[in-house]
Amino acid sequence: MNSTVVSYLSQAPGYALAVNKLTELFGFDATGFVNFLLFFLVAFIVVNVMSAIGGLGTYAERKISADLQMRQGPNRVGPYGLLQFLADGVKMIGKEDVLPAQADRFLFLVAPLMCMVGVFASLAVLPFSNGFTLTNLNIGVFYLLGVSSLVGVGIFLGGYASNSKWSMLGGMRGASQIISYEVPVTLSILAIVLMTGSLSFDVITEAQGGLPHEWFVLHNPFTFIGFFVLFIGALAETNRAPFDLPEAESELVSGYHTEFTGMRFAFFALAEYVEVFVVCGVCAALFLGGYKVPFDLGTGELIMKTFPAVHPMLAKQIGNILQLKVFVLKTLLLYYVVIWIRWTLPRMRVDSLMVLCWKYLTPIALFNLVGCAVWLWAFEGKSVWTLIFKSGVAAAGGHH
Amino acid sequence: MFLKIMFVLSALLTLGGAFLTASSKNLMHACVYLLACLFGVAGLYATLGADFLAAAQLVVYAGGVVILMLFAIMLTGGVQEFVNKFGLDKTPSMGSGKTYTIAGLSMIVTAFIVMKILAPVFKTPAQTDLPAFTSTVEKLGVLLVTDHVLAFEISSILLLGALVGAAVISRPRRGK
Repeated sequence: MNSTVVSYLSQAPGYALAVNKLTELFGFDATGFVNFLLFFLVAFIVVNVMSAIGGLGTYAERKISADLQMRQGPNRVGPYGLLQFLADGVKMIGKEDVLPAQADRFLFLVAPLMCMVGVFASLAVLPFSNGFTLTNLNIGVFYLLGVSSLVGVGIFLGGYASNSKWSMLGGMRGASQIISYEVPVTLSILAIVLMTGSLSFDVITEAQGGLPHEWFVLHNPFTFIGFFVLFIGALAETNRAPFDLPEAESELVSGYHTEFTGMRFAFFALAEYVEVFVVCGVCAALFLGGYKVPFDLGTGELIMKTFPAVHPMLAKQIGNILQLKVFVLKTLLLYYVVIWIRWTLPRMRVDSLMVLCWKYLTPIALFNLVGCAVWLWAFEGKSVWTLIFKSGVAAAGGHH
Repeated sequence: MFLKIMFVLSALLTLGGAFLTASSKNLMHACVYLLACLFGVAGLYATLGADFLAAAQLVVYAGGVVILMLFAIMLTGGVQEFVNKFGLDKTPSMGSGKTYTIAGLSMIVTAFIVMKILAPVFKTPAQTDLPAFTSTVEKLGVLLVTDHVLAFEISSILLLGALVGAAVISRPRRGK
Protein backbone atom coordinates (compact mmCIF):
# COMPACT_ATOMS: atom_id res chain seq x y z
CA MET A 1 0.00 0.00 0.00
CA ASN A 2 1.17 3.52 -0.66
CA SER A 3 2.28 5.28 2.48
CA THR A 4 0.83 8.71 3.04
CA VAL A 5 1.17 11.50 5.53
CA VAL A 6 -1.79 10.01 7.39
CA SER A 7 -0.22 6.58 7.74
CA TYR A 8 2.84 8.35 9.14
CA LEU A 9 0.92 10.50 11.61
CA SER A 10 -1.18 7.52 12.68
CA GLN A 11 1.89 6.17 14.49
CA ALA A 12 1.64 9.05 16.93
CA PRO A 13 -0.14 8.29 20.24
CA GLY A 14 -2.46 11.26 19.83
CA TYR A 15 -3.99 9.71 16.72
CA ALA A 16 -5.37 6.62 18.51
CA LEU A 17 -6.64 8.87 21.30
CA ALA A 18 -8.48 11.13 18.85
CA VAL A 19 -9.97 8.15 17.00
CA ASN A 20 -11.20 6.59 20.27
CA LYS A 21 -12.69 9.84 21.55
CA LEU A 22 -14.50 10.52 18.28
CA THR A 23 -15.70 6.92 18.02
CA GLU A 24 -17.30 7.28 21.46
CA LEU A 25 -18.78 10.61 20.49
CA PHE A 26 -20.26 9.57 17.13
CA GLY A 27 -21.06 5.97 17.95
CA PHE A 28 -19.34 4.61 14.82
CA ASP A 29 -15.77 3.91 13.76
CA ALA A 30 -14.20 7.34 13.30
CA THR A 31 -10.94 6.19 11.64
CA GLY A 32 -12.02 7.24 8.16
CA PHE A 33 -13.28 10.57 9.45
CA VAL A 34 -10.02 11.33 11.27
CA ASN A 35 -8.01 10.27 8.23
CA PHE A 36 -10.05 12.59 6.05
CA LEU A 37 -9.62 15.45 8.52
CA LEU A 38 -5.85 14.89 8.62
CA PHE A 39 -5.59 14.77 4.84
CA PHE A 40 -7.70 17.89 4.54
CA LEU A 41 -5.64 19.72 7.13
CA VAL A 42 -2.27 18.77 5.62
CA ALA A 43 -3.42 19.52 2.07
CA PHE A 44 -4.77 22.87 3.28
CA ILE A 45 -1.44 23.71 4.93
CA VAL A 46 0.58 22.60 1.89
CA VAL A 47 -1.52 24.61 -0.57
CA ASN A 48 -1.39 27.72 1.58
CA VAL A 49 2.31 27.49 2.31
CA MET A 50 2.97 26.92 -1.40
CA SER A 51 0.90 29.98 -2.31
CA ALA A 52 2.91 31.98 0.20
CA ILE A 53 6.12 30.62 -1.33
CA GLY A 54 4.82 31.55 -4.78
CA GLY A 55 4.06 35.06 -3.52
CA LEU A 56 7.42 35.35 -1.84
CA GLY A 57 8.90 34.11 -5.12
CA THR A 58 7.85 37.35 -6.78
CA TYR A 59 9.46 39.25 -3.90
CA ALA A 60 12.65 37.18 -4.21
CA GLU A 61 12.68 37.74 -7.95
CA ARG A 62 12.56 41.52 -7.51
CA LYS A 63 15.01 41.61 -4.65
CA ILE A 64 17.56 39.34 -6.36
CA SER A 65 17.22 41.15 -9.68
CA ALA A 66 17.73 44.42 -7.83
CA ASP A 67 20.79 42.97 -6.16
CA LEU A 68 22.21 41.83 -9.50
CA GLN A 69 21.60 45.27 -11.00
CA MET A 70 22.88 47.20 -7.95
CA ARG A 71 19.49 48.59 -7.04
CA GLN A 72 17.49 48.49 -3.81
CA GLY A 73 14.38 46.67 -4.91
CA PRO A 74 11.13 46.83 -2.90
CA ASN A 75 11.88 48.26 0.55
CA ARG A 76 8.82 50.26 1.63
CA VAL A 77 6.13 47.72 2.59
CA GLY A 78 7.06 45.93 5.79
CA PRO A 79 10.60 45.16 6.93
CA TYR A 80 12.91 45.01 3.89
CA GLY A 81 9.80 45.22 1.69
CA LEU A 82 8.83 41.69 2.72
CA LEU A 83 5.10 42.38 2.58
CA GLN A 84 5.29 43.66 -0.98
CA PHE A 85 3.62 40.54 -2.35
CA LEU A 86 0.66 40.97 0.01
CA ALA A 87 0.27 44.55 -1.16
CA ASP A 88 0.39 43.30 -4.74
CA GLY A 89 -2.24 40.69 -3.94
CA VAL A 90 -4.57 43.29 -2.44
CA LYS A 91 -4.04 45.46 -5.50
CA MET A 92 -4.82 42.51 -7.80
CA ILE A 93 -8.08 41.80 -5.98
CA GLY A 94 -9.04 45.45 -6.23
CA LYS A 95 -8.55 45.58 -10.00
CA GLU A 96 -11.41 45.44 -12.44
CA ASP A 97 -12.02 42.00 -13.93
CA VAL A 98 -11.98 42.75 -17.65
CA LEU A 99 -13.40 40.21 -20.06
CA PRO A 100 -12.53 41.23 -23.64
CA ALA A 101 -15.64 41.60 -25.78
CA GLN A 102 -14.48 39.21 -28.51
CA ALA A 103 -12.95 36.68 -26.13
CA ASP A 104 -14.12 33.10 -25.89
CA ARG A 105 -15.88 33.46 -22.54
CA PHE A 106 -15.81 29.84 -21.35
CA LEU A 107 -12.17 29.19 -22.27
CA PHE A 108 -11.10 32.57 -20.91
CA LEU A 109 -12.52 31.67 -17.49
CA VAL A 110 -11.22 28.10 -17.51
CA ALA A 111 -7.63 28.67 -18.69
CA PRO A 112 -6.11 30.22 -15.50
CA LEU A 113 -7.79 27.54 -13.39
CA MET A 114 -6.23 24.80 -15.50
CA CYS A 115 -2.76 26.20 -14.81
CA MET A 116 -3.51 26.36 -11.07
CA VAL A 117 -5.01 22.86 -10.92
CA GLY A 118 -2.12 21.33 -12.84
CA VAL A 119 0.48 22.84 -10.55
CA PHE A 120 -1.30 22.21 -7.27
CA ALA A 121 -2.15 18.62 -8.23
CA SER A 122 1.56 17.95 -8.65
CA LEU A 123 2.16 18.97 -5.01
CA ALA A 124 0.48 15.72 -3.93
CA VAL A 125 3.60 13.67 -4.66
CA LEU A 126 6.35 16.22 -4.00
CA PRO A 127 8.59 14.51 -1.39
CA PHE A 128 8.93 17.13 1.34
CA SER A 129 10.22 14.58 3.83
CA ASN A 130 9.91 10.90 4.62
CA GLY A 131 6.72 11.36 6.61
CA PHE A 132 5.25 14.65 5.48
CA THR A 133 4.85 13.75 1.80
CA LEU A 134 1.13 13.96 1.04
CA THR A 135 1.21 10.58 -0.66
CA ASN A 136 3.98 8.28 -1.85
CA LEU A 137 2.51 7.05 -5.09
CA ASN A 138 4.52 4.20 -6.57
CA ILE A 139 4.11 5.98 -9.91
CA GLY A 140 4.83 9.40 -8.42
CA VAL A 141 7.23 10.63 -11.13
CA PHE A 142 4.89 9.56 -13.90
CA TYR A 143 1.89 11.14 -12.16
CA LEU A 144 3.76 14.42 -11.78
CA LEU A 145 4.63 14.48 -15.49
CA GLY A 146 0.99 13.78 -16.29
CA VAL A 147 -0.71 16.44 -14.21
CA SER A 148 1.89 19.11 -14.92
CA SER A 149 1.13 18.80 -18.64
CA LEU A 150 -2.23 20.39 -17.82
CA VAL A 151 -0.32 23.66 -17.40
CA GLY A 152 0.56 23.57 -21.10
CA VAL A 153 -3.10 23.20 -22.03
CA GLY A 154 -3.95 26.12 -19.73
CA ILE A 155 -1.33 28.39 -21.29
CA PHE A 156 -2.39 27.49 -24.81
CA LEU A 157 -6.09 28.00 -24.11
CA GLY A 158 -5.34 31.27 -22.32
CA GLY A 159 -3.58 32.51 -25.44
CA TYR A 160 -6.33 31.28 -27.73
CA ALA A 161 -9.29 32.52 -25.71
CA SER A 162 -8.09 36.13 -25.41
CA ASN A 163 -8.64 36.67 -29.14
CA SER A 164 -5.56 38.83 -29.44
CA LYS A 165 -2.61 38.34 -31.76
CA TRP A 166 -0.01 38.68 -29.03
CA SER A 167 -1.76 36.26 -26.74
CA MET A 168 -2.24 33.80 -29.57
CA LEU A 169 1.44 33.84 -30.51
CA GLY A 170 2.46 33.55 -26.87
CA GLY A 171 0.11 30.64 -26.29
CA MET A 172 1.31 28.77 -29.38
CA ARG A 173 4.94 29.31 -28.43
CA GLY A 174 4.24 28.16 -24.90
CA ALA A 175 2.49 24.98 -25.96
CA SER A 176 5.08 23.99 -28.57
CA GLN A 177 7.91 24.75 -26.15
CA ILE A 178 6.39 22.70 -23.34
CA ILE A 179 5.67 19.73 -25.60
CA SER A 180 9.17 19.80 -27.11
CA TYR A 181 11.07 20.10 -23.85
CA GLU A 182 9.07 17.29 -22.29
CA VAL A 183 11.19 14.89 -24.36
CA PRO A 184 14.68 15.63 -22.90
CA VAL A 185 13.20 16.14 -19.41
CA THR A 186 11.44 12.78 -19.46
CA LEU A 187 14.51 11.03 -20.87
CA SER A 188 16.79 12.40 -18.13
CA ILE A 189 14.25 11.42 -15.47
CA LEU A 190 14.09 7.99 -17.09
CA ALA A 191 17.84 7.55 -16.55
CA ILE A 192 17.32 7.96 -12.80
CA VAL A 193 14.31 5.64 -12.88
CA LEU A 194 16.58 3.10 -14.58
CA MET A 195 19.21 3.44 -11.84
CA THR A 196 16.75 2.92 -9.00
CA GLY A 197 14.20 0.70 -10.70
CA SER A 198 11.29 2.65 -9.30
CA LEU A 199 8.94 5.48 -10.24
CA SER A 200 8.35 6.47 -6.62
CA PHE A 201 9.99 9.63 -5.31
CA ASP A 202 10.45 7.95 -1.94
CA VAL A 203 12.44 5.01 -3.29
CA ILE A 204 14.52 7.28 -5.53
CA THR A 205 15.39 9.56 -2.60
CA GLU A 206 16.15 6.67 -0.28
CA ALA A 207 18.57 5.26 -2.88
CA GLN A 208 20.74 8.32 -2.35
CA GLY A 209 22.61 9.44 0.73
CA GLY A 210 22.84 12.58 2.77
CA LEU A 211 26.33 13.59 1.72
CA PRO A 212 27.08 15.07 -1.72
CA HIS A 213 29.16 12.14 -2.97
CA GLU A 214 26.13 9.86 -2.46
CA TRP A 215 23.83 12.01 -4.59
CA PHE A 216 22.86 10.89 -8.06
CA VAL A 217 24.29 14.02 -9.64
CA LEU A 218 27.79 12.84 -8.67
CA HIS A 219 27.05 9.15 -9.10
CA ASN A 220 28.60 8.78 -12.55
CA PRO A 221 29.45 11.07 -15.50
CA PHE A 222 26.15 10.38 -17.27
CA THR A 223 23.93 11.41 -14.38
CA PHE A 224 26.12 14.50 -13.96
CA ILE A 225 25.25 15.60 -17.50
CA GLY A 226 21.68 14.42 -17.03
CA PHE A 227 21.15 16.80 -14.14
CA PHE A 228 22.02 19.79 -16.31
CA VAL A 229 19.83 18.55 -19.16
CA LEU A 230 16.94 18.18 -16.71
CA PHE A 231 17.55 21.62 -15.22
CA ILE A 232 17.68 23.35 -18.62
CA GLY A 233 14.56 21.48 -19.71
CA ALA A 234 12.81 22.45 -16.49
CA LEU A 235 13.63 26.11 -17.12
CA ALA A 236 12.05 25.82 -20.56
CA GLU A 237 8.98 23.97 -19.28
CA THR A 238 8.24 26.66 -16.73
CA ASN A 239 8.77 29.41 -19.33
CA ARG A 240 11.58 31.01 -17.39
CA ALA A 241 14.28 33.12 -19.00
CA PRO A 242 16.27 32.52 -21.17
CA PHE A 243 13.29 30.53 -22.49
CA ASP A 244 10.51 33.01 -21.65
CA LEU A 245 9.47 33.35 -25.28
CA PRO A 246 5.74 32.86 -24.53
CA GLU A 247 5.75 36.10 -22.56
CA ALA A 248 8.54 37.96 -24.35
CA GLU A 249 7.61 41.50 -23.34
CA SER A 250 9.64 43.21 -26.04
CA GLU A 251 7.81 41.36 -28.83
CA LEU A 252 4.48 40.16 -27.44
CA VAL A 253 3.58 42.76 -24.76
CA SER A 254 3.07 40.04 -22.15
CA GLY A 255 2.37 36.93 -24.20
CA TYR A 256 -0.45 34.59 -23.30
CA HIS A 257 -1.67 36.60 -20.31
CA THR A 258 -1.76 39.99 -22.04
CA GLU A 259 -5.54 40.26 -21.83
CA PHE A 260 -5.92 38.88 -18.31
CA THR A 261 -6.50 41.28 -15.45
CA GLY A 262 -6.72 41.19 -11.69
CA MET A 263 -6.84 37.81 -10.01
CA ARG A 264 -6.96 35.89 -13.30
CA PHE A 265 -3.54 37.29 -14.15
CA ALA A 266 -2.45 36.56 -10.58
CA PHE A 267 -3.47 32.91 -11.03
CA PHE A 268 -1.14 32.61 -14.02
CA ALA A 269 1.70 34.31 -12.16
CA LEU A 270 1.16 32.24 -9.02
CA ALA A 271 0.99 29.02 -11.03
CA GLU A 272 4.30 29.91 -12.69
CA TYR A 273 6.12 30.64 -9.43
CA VAL A 274 4.77 27.55 -7.68
CA GLU A 275 5.66 25.46 -10.72
CA VAL A 276 9.23 26.71 -10.53
CA PHE A 277 9.30 25.55 -6.90
CA VAL A 278 7.86 22.16 -7.91
CA VAL A 279 10.37 21.52 -10.71
CA CYS A 280 13.25 22.67 -8.49
CA GLY A 281 11.95 20.23 -5.88
CA VAL A 282 11.86 17.46 -8.47
CA CYS A 283 15.45 18.24 -9.54
CA ALA A 284 16.52 18.20 -5.88
CA ALA A 285 14.70 14.93 -5.16
CA LEU A 286 15.98 13.11 -8.22
CA PHE A 287 19.57 14.31 -8.34
CA LEU A 288 20.53 16.20 -5.19
CA GLY A 289 19.57 13.67 -2.54
CA GLY A 290 16.13 15.14 -1.86
CA TYR A 291 15.29 15.18 1.82
CA LYS A 292 18.18 12.97 2.95
CA VAL A 293 20.01 14.32 6.02
CA PRO A 294 23.54 13.08 6.74
CA PHE A 295 24.41 10.70 9.60
CA ASP A 296 20.96 9.08 10.08
CA LEU A 297 19.63 12.31 11.58
CA GLY A 298 16.64 12.24 9.25
CA THR A 299 15.21 8.92 10.40
CA GLY A 300 15.76 9.87 14.05
CA GLU A 301 17.98 6.81 14.66
CA LEU A 302 20.96 8.87 15.82
CA ILE A 303 18.79 10.82 18.26
CA MET A 304 17.30 7.59 19.58
CA LYS A 305 20.75 6.07 20.08
CA THR A 306 22.25 9.12 21.77
CA PHE A 307 19.25 9.91 23.96
CA PRO A 308 17.46 6.61 24.68
CA ALA A 309 15.03 8.42 26.98
CA VAL A 310 13.42 10.29 24.08
CA HIS A 311 10.12 8.90 22.78
CA PRO A 312 10.78 7.27 19.36
CA MET A 313 7.95 9.23 17.73
CA LEU A 314 9.46 12.50 18.97
CA ALA A 315 12.83 11.52 17.50
CA LYS A 316 11.11 10.70 14.23
CA GLN A 317 9.32 14.03 14.22
CA ILE A 318 12.58 15.91 14.80
CA GLY A 319 14.16 13.90 11.99
CA ASN A 320 11.27 14.69 9.68
CA ILE A 321 11.47 18.39 10.39
CA LEU A 322 15.21 18.25 9.63
CA GLN A 323 14.42 16.45 6.36
CA LEU A 324 11.81 19.05 5.51
CA LYS A 325 14.33 21.81 6.13
CA VAL A 326 17.00 20.13 4.00
CA PHE A 327 14.57 19.57 1.13
CA VAL A 328 13.29 23.16 1.19
CA LEU A 329 16.85 24.46 1.46
CA LYS A 330 18.01 22.55 -1.62
CA THR A 331 14.92 23.57 -3.54
CA LEU A 332 15.31 27.23 -2.64
CA LEU A 333 18.98 27.15 -3.66
CA LEU A 334 17.91 25.90 -7.08
CA TYR A 335 15.17 28.56 -7.06
CA TYR A 336 17.87 31.17 -6.52
CA VAL A 337 19.84 29.78 -9.46
CA VAL A 338 16.72 29.97 -11.65
CA ILE A 339 16.22 33.64 -10.80
CA TRP A 340 19.94 34.31 -11.19
CA ILE A 341 19.88 32.79 -14.69
CA ARG A 342 16.84 34.87 -15.60
CA TRP A 343 18.59 38.13 -14.83
CA THR A 344 21.89 37.11 -16.39
CA LEU A 345 21.15 35.56 -19.77
CA PRO A 346 19.40 37.26 -22.70
CA ARG A 347 16.30 35.68 -24.25
CA MET A 348 16.79 33.08 -26.97
CA ARG A 349 15.31 33.18 -30.46
CA VAL A 350 12.48 30.78 -31.31
CA ASP A 351 14.53 28.78 -33.79
CA SER A 352 17.57 28.49 -31.52
CA LEU A 353 15.22 27.31 -28.78
CA MET A 354 14.01 24.43 -30.94
CA VAL A 355 17.54 23.71 -32.17
CA LEU A 356 18.75 23.49 -28.56
CA CYS A 357 15.95 21.10 -27.70
CA TRP A 358 15.95 18.74 -30.67
CA LYS A 359 19.56 18.86 -31.88
CA TYR A 360 21.41 19.07 -28.57
CA LEU A 361 19.41 18.21 -25.47
CA THR A 362 17.43 15.27 -26.84
CA PRO A 363 20.45 13.41 -28.29
CA ILE A 364 22.44 14.12 -25.12
CA ALA A 365 19.58 12.81 -22.99
CA LEU A 366 19.33 9.67 -25.14
CA PHE A 367 23.09 9.17 -24.88
CA ASN A 368 22.83 9.58 -21.09
CA LEU A 369 20.07 7.01 -20.88
CA VAL A 370 22.13 4.44 -22.77
CA GLY A 371 25.23 5.45 -20.79
CA CYS A 372 23.45 4.91 -17.46
CA ALA A 373 22.25 1.49 -18.65
CA VAL A 374 25.80 0.54 -19.65
CA TRP A 375 27.15 1.83 -16.33
CA LEU A 376 24.59 -0.24 -14.43
CA TRP A 377 25.57 -3.31 -16.40
CA ALA A 378 29.34 -2.77 -16.24
CA PHE A 379 29.82 -1.62 -12.64
CA GLU A 380 26.67 -3.09 -11.05
CA GLY A 381 25.36 0.35 -10.16
CA LYS A 382 28.32 1.38 -8.00
CA SER A 383 29.11 5.06 -7.93
CA VAL A 384 32.33 6.45 -9.35
CA TRP A 385 33.57 7.24 -5.81
CA THR A 386 33.14 3.65 -4.70
CA LEU A 387 35.15 2.50 -7.71
CA ILE A 388 37.94 5.01 -7.04
CA PHE A 389 38.03 4.04 -3.37
CA LYS A 390 38.15 0.34 -4.25
CA SER A 391 40.93 0.76 -6.79
CA GLY A 392 42.83 2.87 -4.26
CA VAL A 393 42.46 0.16 -1.67
CA ALA A 394 43.55 -2.41 -4.23
CA ALA A 395 46.59 -0.31 -5.17
CA ALA A 396 47.54 -0.06 -1.50
CA GLY A 397 47.51 -3.84 -1.31
CA GLY A 398 44.16 -4.18 0.38
CA HIS A 399 43.10 -7.39 -1.40
CA HIS A 400 41.69 -10.04 0.81
CA MET B 1 -16.85 3.72 0.43
CA PHE B 2 -14.08 6.04 -0.72
CA LEU B 3 -13.55 4.02 -3.90
CA LYS B 4 -17.28 4.11 -4.60
CA ILE B 5 -17.40 7.90 -4.25
CA MET B 6 -14.38 8.23 -6.52
CA PHE B 7 -15.95 5.85 -9.02
CA VAL B 8 -19.20 7.81 -9.14
CA LEU B 9 -17.32 11.11 -9.52
CA SER B 10 -15.11 9.75 -12.33
CA ALA B 11 -18.07 8.15 -14.08
CA LEU B 12 -20.04 11.39 -13.89
CA LEU B 13 -17.04 13.33 -15.21
CA THR B 14 -16.61 10.85 -18.07
CA LEU B 15 -20.28 10.78 -19.06
CA GLY B 16 -20.79 14.52 -18.62
CA GLY B 17 -17.62 15.30 -20.57
CA ALA B 18 -18.58 12.92 -23.36
CA PHE B 19 -22.11 14.33 -23.58
CA LEU B 20 -20.88 17.93 -23.67
CA THR B 21 -18.22 16.99 -26.25
CA ALA B 22 -20.88 15.61 -28.53
CA SER B 23 -23.38 18.41 -27.97
CA SER B 24 -21.01 21.39 -28.01
CA LYS B 25 -21.22 23.58 -31.12
CA ASN B 26 -17.76 25.05 -30.72
CA LEU B 27 -14.92 22.65 -31.58
CA MET B 28 -12.48 24.23 -29.11
CA HIS B 29 -15.00 23.86 -26.29
CA ALA B 30 -15.61 20.27 -27.36
CA CYS B 31 -11.87 19.66 -27.03
CA VAL B 32 -11.83 20.99 -23.47
CA TYR B 33 -14.84 18.83 -22.57
CA LEU B 34 -13.00 15.90 -24.12
CA LEU B 35 -10.11 16.65 -21.77
CA ALA B 36 -12.52 16.42 -18.82
CA CYS B 37 -13.87 13.15 -20.21
CA LEU B 38 -10.34 11.71 -20.53
CA PHE B 39 -9.56 12.75 -16.97
CA GLY B 40 -12.68 10.90 -15.90
CA VAL B 41 -11.49 7.79 -17.74
CA ALA B 42 -8.14 8.09 -15.94
CA GLY B 43 -10.08 8.25 -12.67
CA LEU B 44 -11.99 5.10 -13.65
CA TYR B 45 -8.71 3.29 -14.30
CA ALA B 46 -7.39 4.45 -10.94
CA THR B 47 -10.47 3.18 -9.08
CA LEU B 48 -10.07 -0.18 -10.84
CA GLY B 49 -6.53 -0.45 -9.46
CA ALA B 50 -4.73 0.17 -12.78
CA ASP B 51 -2.58 3.00 -11.43
CA PHE B 52 0.02 2.96 -14.19
CA LEU B 53 -2.63 2.98 -16.89
CA ALA B 54 -4.31 5.97 -15.22
CA ALA B 55 -1.07 7.96 -15.18
CA ALA B 56 -0.32 6.95 -18.77
CA GLN B 57 -3.79 8.18 -19.74
CA LEU B 58 -2.97 11.56 -18.18
CA VAL B 59 0.47 11.82 -19.79
CA VAL B 60 -0.56 10.72 -23.27
CA TYR B 61 -3.98 12.33 -23.62
CA ALA B 62 -3.90 15.41 -21.40
CA GLY B 63 -0.31 16.25 -22.31
CA GLY B 64 -0.05 15.26 -25.92
CA VAL B 65 -3.20 14.39 -27.78
CA VAL B 66 -5.47 17.19 -26.54
CA ILE B 67 -2.86 19.89 -27.24
CA LEU B 68 -2.29 18.42 -30.70
CA MET B 69 -6.04 18.42 -31.34
CA LEU B 70 -6.27 22.04 -30.20
CA PHE B 71 -3.42 22.92 -32.55
CA ALA B 72 -5.02 21.06 -35.43
CA ILE B 73 -8.42 22.69 -34.91
CA MET B 74 -6.84 26.10 -34.70
CA LEU B 75 -4.61 25.72 -37.74
CA THR B 76 -7.34 24.27 -39.94
CA GLY B 77 -9.82 26.97 -38.95
CA GLY B 78 -12.40 24.56 -37.57
CA VAL B 79 -13.98 27.17 -35.34
CA GLN B 80 -16.66 29.04 -37.25
CA GLU B 81 -19.97 30.62 -36.55
CA PHE B 82 -22.67 28.13 -37.39
CA VAL B 83 -25.25 30.81 -38.08
CA ASN B 84 -25.03 33.04 -41.14
CA LYS B 85 -25.77 36.74 -41.09
CA PHE B 86 -29.51 36.16 -41.53
CA GLY B 87 -29.62 34.02 -38.39
CA LEU B 88 -30.15 30.78 -40.34
CA ASP B 89 -28.47 27.55 -39.32
CA LYS B 90 -25.48 26.95 -41.59
CA THR B 91 -24.77 23.40 -40.43
CA PRO B 92 -25.36 21.03 -43.34
CA SER B 93 -27.42 17.93 -42.74
CA MET B 94 -25.25 15.06 -41.68
CA GLY B 95 -26.10 12.72 -44.57
CA SER B 96 -28.62 11.52 -47.13
CA GLY B 97 -31.04 8.62 -47.09
CA LYS B 98 -28.40 6.37 -48.59
CA THR B 99 -25.82 7.04 -45.84
CA TYR B 100 -28.40 6.62 -43.09
CA THR B 101 -29.45 3.24 -44.52
CA ILE B 102 -25.86 2.02 -44.75
CA ALA B 103 -25.06 3.28 -41.27
CA GLY B 104 -28.17 1.61 -39.81
CA LEU B 105 -27.39 -1.74 -41.42
CA SER B 106 -23.76 -1.71 -40.38
CA MET B 107 -24.79 -0.74 -36.85
CA ILE B 108 -27.08 -3.76 -36.62
CA VAL B 109 -24.31 -6.06 -37.86
CA THR B 110 -21.80 -4.58 -35.40
CA ALA B 111 -24.28 -4.84 -32.56
CA PHE B 112 -24.80 -8.56 -33.28
CA ILE B 113 -21.06 -9.17 -33.27
CA VAL B 114 -20.58 -7.22 -30.03
CA MET B 115 -23.44 -9.09 -28.35
CA LYS B 116 -21.96 -12.40 -29.47
CA ILE B 117 -18.64 -11.40 -27.92
CA LEU B 118 -20.19 -10.08 -24.73
CA ALA B 119 -22.55 -13.02 -24.15
CA PRO B 120 -20.03 -15.21 -22.25
CA VAL B 121 -18.97 -12.23 -20.19
CA PHE B 122 -22.41 -11.85 -18.64
CA LYS B 123 -22.73 -15.60 -18.02
CA THR B 124 -19.77 -15.66 -15.61
CA PRO B 125 -20.73 -15.20 -11.95
CA ALA B 126 -20.58 -11.59 -10.86
CA GLN B 127 -17.49 -10.68 -8.92
CA THR B 128 -18.39 -9.85 -5.35
CA ASP B 129 -15.53 -7.61 -4.37
CA LEU B 130 -12.52 -6.02 -6.00
CA PRO B 131 -9.17 -7.58 -5.10
CA ALA B 132 -6.90 -5.64 -2.79
CA PHE B 133 -4.94 -2.81 -4.35
CA THR B 134 -1.51 -3.82 -5.65
CA SER B 135 0.97 -1.98 -7.79
CA THR B 136 0.78 -2.88 -11.46
CA VAL B 137 3.97 -1.18 -12.59
CA GLU B 138 6.35 -4.08 -12.07
CA LYS B 139 4.00 -6.67 -13.54
CA LEU B 140 3.41 -4.50 -16.59
CA GLY B 141 7.13 -3.90 -17.09
CA VAL B 142 8.05 -7.56 -16.78
CA LEU B 143 5.25 -8.71 -19.09
CA LEU B 144 6.07 -6.08 -21.70
CA VAL B 145 9.63 -7.29 -22.19
CA THR B 146 8.98 -11.02 -21.77
CA ASP B 147 5.62 -12.38 -22.97
CA HIS B 148 4.53 -9.44 -25.08
CA VAL B 149 7.88 -8.30 -26.41
CA LEU B 150 6.77 -8.83 -30.03
CA ALA B 151 3.73 -6.55 -29.71
CA PHE B 152 5.88 -4.03 -27.87
CA GLU B 153 8.51 -3.97 -30.61
CA ILE B 154 5.92 -3.85 -33.41
CA SER B 155 4.23 -0.83 -31.83
CA SER B 156 7.61 0.85 -31.47
CA ILE B 157 8.28 0.23 -35.18
CA LEU B 158 4.88 1.75 -35.97
CA LEU B 159 5.75 4.86 -33.97
CA LEU B 160 9.18 5.07 -35.59
CA GLY B 161 7.52 4.86 -39.00
CA ALA B 162 5.15 7.68 -38.07
CA LEU B 163 8.09 9.77 -36.86
CA VAL B 164 10.10 9.22 -40.05
CA GLY B 165 7.01 9.90 -42.16
CA ALA B 166 6.34 13.18 -40.34
CA ALA B 167 9.96 14.23 -40.84
CA VAL B 168 9.80 13.40 -44.56
CA ILE B 169 6.50 15.24 -45.10
CA SER B 170 7.52 18.37 -43.22
CA ARG B 171 10.97 18.55 -44.81
CA PRO B 172 11.39 21.58 -47.08
CA ARG B 173 11.94 20.43 -50.68
CA ARG B 174 15.08 21.73 -52.26
CA GLY B 175 15.59 22.37 -55.97
CA LYS B 176 12.04 23.48 -56.68
